Amino acid sequence: MMRTAAAALCILAASAAGARGEEKAPTAEEIVNRANLVAYYAGADGRAQVEMTITDGRGRTRERRMTILRRNVAEGGDQKFYVHFQRPADVRGMAYLVWKHVGRDDDRWLYQPALDLVKRIAAGDKRTSFVGSDFLYEDVSGRGPEEDVHELLRTEGEAYVIRSTPREPRGVEFARYDVWIDRATFMPMRAEYFDRAGKKYRVVEALEVREIGGHPTVVRSKANNLESGGHTVSVFSDVAYGVGLPDDIFTERYLRRAPTKWLK
Amino acid sequence: MGLQAGIIRFSVDHPRLVVALTLAAAAGCAALGVTTGARSGWEIVDTDPENMLAPTEEVRRFHDGTKEEFSLHDMIVVGVVNEEDPDGVFNPATLSRVLRLTEFAKGLDGVIPGDVIAPSEVDNIEQAGPGVLRFERLMAEPPADREGAREVRRKARNHPMLDGTLLSEDGKALCLYVPIREKRFSHRVAGLLRAEAARLGMREMDGRRTDGDAFGITGLPVAEDTFGVEMFRQMAVSAPLAMAVILLLMLLFFRKFVLVLSPMIVAALAVVCTMGLLVGLGHTVHIMSSMIPIFLMPISVVDSVHILSGFFERYRRIGDPRAAVISAMEELFTPMLYTSLTTFAGFASLALTPIPPVQTYGVFVGAGVMIAWALTVTFIPAYTTFIPKRRLDAFGAGAGEGAGIMAAPLAALGRFAVGRSRMIIAATVAVIAVSAWGISRIRVNDNPTKWFVPSHPIRVADRVLNEHFAGTYMAYLVLDPASPAAPDPDGLAARLAPAAAPLGAAAGELGALIRERAASARTEAELVAAVDDWCADRAAEAPDEEAPRWEALLGLLSEERARADLFKRPEVLRYMEGLERAVAWDRLVGKSNSAATLVAHVHRELRSGTAADFRIPDTARMVAECYIQAQSGHDPEDLWKLVTPGYGRANVWMQLRSGDNRDMEAVARAVERHMAGAPPPLPLISRWAGLTWVNVVWQDRMVSGMLGSLLGSFLVVFLMMAFLFRSFLWGILCMVPLSVTITFIYALIGISGKDYDMPVAVLSSLTLGLSVDFAIHYLQRARECVARTGEWRAAAMEMAGEPARAISRNVIVIAVGFTPLLLAPLVPYRTVGFFMAAIMVVSGAGTLVILPALMTALRRRLFAPRAPAAACSCAACLAVGLAATAGTAFVLHQYRLTGWGGTTLAAGGLVVGAMLACNRLARRRACLEELGKPEGGSK
Repeated sequence: MMRTAAAALCILAASAAGARGEEKAPTAEEIVNRANLVAYYAGADGRAQVEMTITDGRGRTRERRMTILRRNVAEGGDQKFYVHFQRPADVRGMAYLVWKHVGRDDDRWLYQPALDLVKRIAAGDKRTSFVGSDFLYEDVSGRGPEEDVHELLRTEGEAYVIRSTPREPRGVEFARYDVWIDRATFMPMRAEYFDRAGKKYRVVEALEVREIGGHPTVVRSKANNLESGGHTVSVFSDVAYGVGLPDDIFTERYLRRAPTKWLK
Repeated sequence: MGLQAGIIRFSVDHPRLVVALTLAAAAGCAALGVTTGARSGWEIVDTDPENMLAPTEEVRRFHDGTKEEFSLHDMIVVGVVNEEDPDGVFNPATLSRVLRLTEFAKGLDGVIPGDVIAPSEVDNIEQAGPGVLRFERLMAEPPADREGAREVRRKARNHPMLDGTLLSEDGKALCLYVPIREKRFSHRVAGLLRAEAARLGMREMDGRRTDGDAFGITGLPVAEDTFGVEMFRQMAVSAPLAMAVILLLMLLFFRKFVLVLSPMIVAALAVVCTMGLLVGLGHTVHIMSSMIPIFLMPISVVDSVHILSGFFERYRRIGDPRAAVISAMEELFTPMLYTSLTTFAGFASLALTPIPPVQTYGVFVGAGVMIAWALTVTFIPAYTTFIPKRRLDAFGAGAGEGAGIMAAPLAALGRFAVGRSRMIIAATVAVIAVSAWGISRIRVNDNPTKWFVPSHPIRVADRVLNEHFAGTYMAYLVLDPASPAAPDPDGLAARLAPAAAPLGAAAGELGALIRERAASARTEAELVAAVDDWCADRAAEAPDEEAPRWEALLGLLSEERARADLFKRPEVLRYMEGLERAVAWDRLVGKSNSAATLVAHVHRELRSGTAADFRIPDTARMVAECYIQAQSGHDPEDLWKLVTPGYGRANVWMQLRSGDNRDMEAVARAVERHMAGAPPPLPLISRWAGLTWVNVVWQDRMVSGMLGSLLGSFLVVFLMMAFLFRSFLWGILCMVPLSVTITFIYALIGISGKDYDMPVAVLSSLTLGLSVDFAIHYLQRARECVARTGEWRAAAMEMAGEPARAISRNVIVIAVGFTPLLLAPLVPYRTVGFFMAAIMVVSGAGTLVILPALMTALRRRLFAPRAPAAACSCAACLAVGLAATAGTAFVLHQYRLTGWGGTTLAAGGLVVGAMLACNRLARRRACLEELGKPEGGSK
C-alpha cells in the first residue's frame, strides 16, 4: 500500500512538473525531497545483503557483511532499520536497531552477543563511523532534508547540483556539501563534503545503480576519506522491496533472538 | 729537505704569485660550493640527529616502518597551564582559547589535521545513564559555563587514554599533540603556534610567573629541529666572535696588526675552502659539519702563531725580515708538517666510524687541516714579505716586553721541571691513576632537549610539562608473535565437538573437513577461516529447526576466529597490561597506552561504567566486540595506532618523562627483565621505535665509534711519531702529554658528573689532534737543540725560552679565544668552549712540565750518541707491527666485516710471522754493527 502511494506520489510530481512546462525546473527543496524518497524510502519495506570492503590509507582491507532490513513507518517520515552482522566472524550476531524519527532524535540500540548486552545509544551525534567503515550512521539511515538549507547551484549534464548548508552547524563536521542528483531517477549520485576552511575532505558516490522491483537501486557505493586516503565500498545484493517485514521484529526483543527467517 | 727549502724560497721569492694562487683557490672552492648549493635550492643543511644513522640502518628502518604501519607521527607538544584559576585550564575562557589554537594548528601547512590530539579532536565513549551508551567528541564546542568546563575535565579524567596525556592528573593543565608530516617542519610550526598562542592572550611559560594562561612548546622533534636552526645562527655569531678575540690576543702578543692579520686570513681561507669543498662535493651540512669552522680556526691559527712567534723572536736578532722568516720556517717546517699530519690522522680516523655525518665531519676537518697547513707554509711567508720594513721596525722594540712577561715564569718552570723530574713523574703517575678512576665514573647519556640551556623556552616547557603530564618523550614498544600459530586440527575438533555432536551426520563431515583443510592450511587462522566459511554456508542452507544448533556451532567458531587474531586473545592483552604495569614501576614512564588499555576502557563503558569492569573481558569474541565499538566514533582509524588491522602486531605507546638516553635504556631493560621473568603466553618479540629510542641507538654507535676512532688514531699517531723521530722511545714520549690530557679531560667529565654526550664524544678527536701538536714541536726542537748544545740540561733551559713562549701563546690564544662560546645559549657550544680551553691548558702544561721531567730522567737513553734505527730494535719493530695489526683488526671489527673469527686467527699468525721477521731483521749484520755488538752468536 505504501508502495502504491509512493508510486502515485511520483506520478503526481512528474505530471506537475510536466504541466508547468519543461523549462520550469523544480526547486531545490523539491529535488532534495524526491531524492530522499528515492534513496531511502523505496517500497514499503526492503531487505538487502551488504558487503563492505574497508580499505585504509595504506591499502589494508577489512570486510563487513550484514543484512539490512528496513520498514517505512510513514512515507518520507519515520522508518525502522535492523542491521544484523555476519562478518567479521568474531562479531557474528551483532545487531543494530534504529528507529528513525523526523523532527526529533532517532532511537538506536546495539546488541553484542558475546558480551550479551543490549545497549541504547544516546541521542546525539549520528556522524560517527558505521562499524569502522568510511560510511557514517547518517549515510545508512539518511539525513533529514529539513536539517539543511538547499540551493540549486546548477544543472550539470544529467544531474542537478544541490548545495546543502546545515541549519545547525554545531554538531556536524562539515560546513556544507554538494550533491549531484540524477535528473531522471532523482537518485543522489555523488556528495562532496567541505570543511570550514572550504576544503573538500569526503566524497560519497553511487558507483552502480540498477532497477530492482521497479525502483532505481544503488547496488554499489563508495565513501572516500580524502584526508586519510581510505575508502569503503559497499556492494548490495539480494535486494528486495515489499517483502512484508512484520513490525515486531524491529524491537529490542529481536535483537537477542535474530529474526532468522527474514535474514536469509 | 729539498722540497721544504724549495717551498719556503718559492713563497718568499714569488709572494704575489702565491697570494694570487691562494686567493684563486679559495675563490674556486667558494664558487664550487655556491653553485652546488644553488643547484640544490640551498637544501644543504640537515639538522636531523636521526641522520647520525644511515637511513638503511635497521633501527631507522624499523622506526620508519613502525611509524608507517601504525600511522604514528612526530609530534609537537603544546602544553597550556593555568595556576591561577581554581579549575586550572578547565574554565570556559581558557578552553575556548585552546579550541581556537587547535583550529589554527589544524590549518597549518605540514600538520596532519586528522591526527591532532586535542579536547575538540578526541572521542569520548561513556555511559549516559543506565543501559545507555554515548559516543561523542570530548569537547565539540567551548563550554558555556564553569560547570560545562568541569564536565570536560571529568570526562577526560575518566578516559584512561586521555588522563595524563591530554590533561594533567591535577586537572590544571592541558596538552595538545600536533603531528607533523616531517620533523623538519617542527621549528616553523612551533613558531607559528607560539605567535598564535600569544595572539590569543596566552604567555609563554617561564617557570616563575603563575598568573593567567601560560603555554609551552616542547617535544623531541621541536628540540632537534630548533637546535639545528639555532646552531647555525650561533655558528654565525660564535665563529666570528672567537676570531675577533683571537685577533685581539695576538695583537696583544705581537703588537702588529698587519702581522697578526695573516693567521686570521689563513684561518678564514681554510674555512672557506673546506666548507666550499664540503658543499661543492654534494655533502649536506649536518650538526657536526656546522662545527667545522669553529674547530678549524684554532687548528689553523696554531701553526701561524708558531711561525709568527719564531719570526718575532728572530727578527729582533737578525733584523732582516726575509732572513728571519726563512730561518723560522726552516726550523718549524718539519714539526708543522707532522703536527698537521697527526691532526689530520686524528680527524680522518673518524671516517672509520660507522656514522655518516661523523665521517663527513672527520674527512673534511682533516682536509681543512691540510689546507690550513699548505696555506700556512706558503701564504704566511709570502705575506710577511709584503710588510714594509719601516712598519716592522717598532716590532722588535715592543716585542721584548711581550716575551718578558712570560719569560721569567717559563724559565722558572723549565728549571723546576728539570730539577724535580722524579717528583713530577710521580705526580703524573698519581694524576693518571686518579684519572683512570674518574674515567670509570663516566656516565654516557644524552638528550637533545638538554642541548638547550635550562632557561630556554623549550627546556622550561620540558620541565613544566613533564611535571604535570605523563611525559613528552614518546617511545613505542612493538610486540610481534615470534611465529604464526600452526594448524592444530585435533585441538579445533575437540573444542568444536560439544556443538558439533548434535548435528548428526554433519558432525562427521565437519571432522573430515577439519582434517582435510589442516593439510593445506599454513596457519591456525587459515584453518579456522576455512572451517568457519564452510559452517556458515551450511548454516544458511539448514532448515529452520536446525538453525539453533548451527548457531551454537557458529558461536564457538566466532571465538576460534577471534582467537586466531593474536591481540584479541584475553591472555595476550592481560600480558600486555602486566608488562605495562611492570615498566611503570617508577616515574620514568608516566603512562602507556595500548590496545589493552583501550579494550578495558571500552569494556567498562559497555558494561557498568564502574571501575570493577575496567578489565580485559574473558573471551576473544568479547574483545572483538570491544574493538568494533572502539571503531564506532569519529576516528575509527585511531585503533590502528595501537594494533594492526589484522590484530597480529601491537604497539605500546609509552610516554616518558625524561628523554635522557640512560632513562630510555632503563625502561628498555625493565621490559627485557619483565619478559624474561614472566614469559608471555606465547612467544612474543619486542622491539622499540620512536625518536627517544633512535637517540639511544645512535648515541651508542657514537660512543663506541668515537672510542674506536680514538684508539685507531692513537695507534696511527704513535706510528707516525715513531717514524718521525725514528725511535720507539721518542714516539712513546710524544704520546705522553696527549695521553695525560685525554685521561685528565675524560676523568674531569667522569668526576664532575657531566654526561658523556654527543659534543663530548666529538671533542675526543680534537683533543688528540691538538694536544699532540705541542709535544711534536717541543720534542723536535729539543732534539735540534741538544744536537746544537750537545747537552740536555742546557737545551732544556733554551727550550724554556722561545719554544715555551710559543706554546704558551698558543695555549692562551686558543683557550681565551674560545671563551665567547661559554656565553652561547646552546650547551654543546659551552662544552666545546670549556673543553677547548681545558685541552689547551692541560696539554700545554703536560708538554712544558712532564716532557722535560721525563726527558731528564731518560736523557741517557734518549740522547745516546747514535740511536739505532727502529728496524734494528726487535722490541720496537715488534711493537710497531703489533700496533699496526691491532689497528687493522680494530677497524675491521668496527665494521663488523669479521667477528673475532678465522680472520683474527690468520692475523694472529701473521703477527707471529712478523715477530720472527723482526727478530731476523734485528740480527742483520748492519744492525749488529750499529749496536756495536760483537758478531757471531746465534745465526
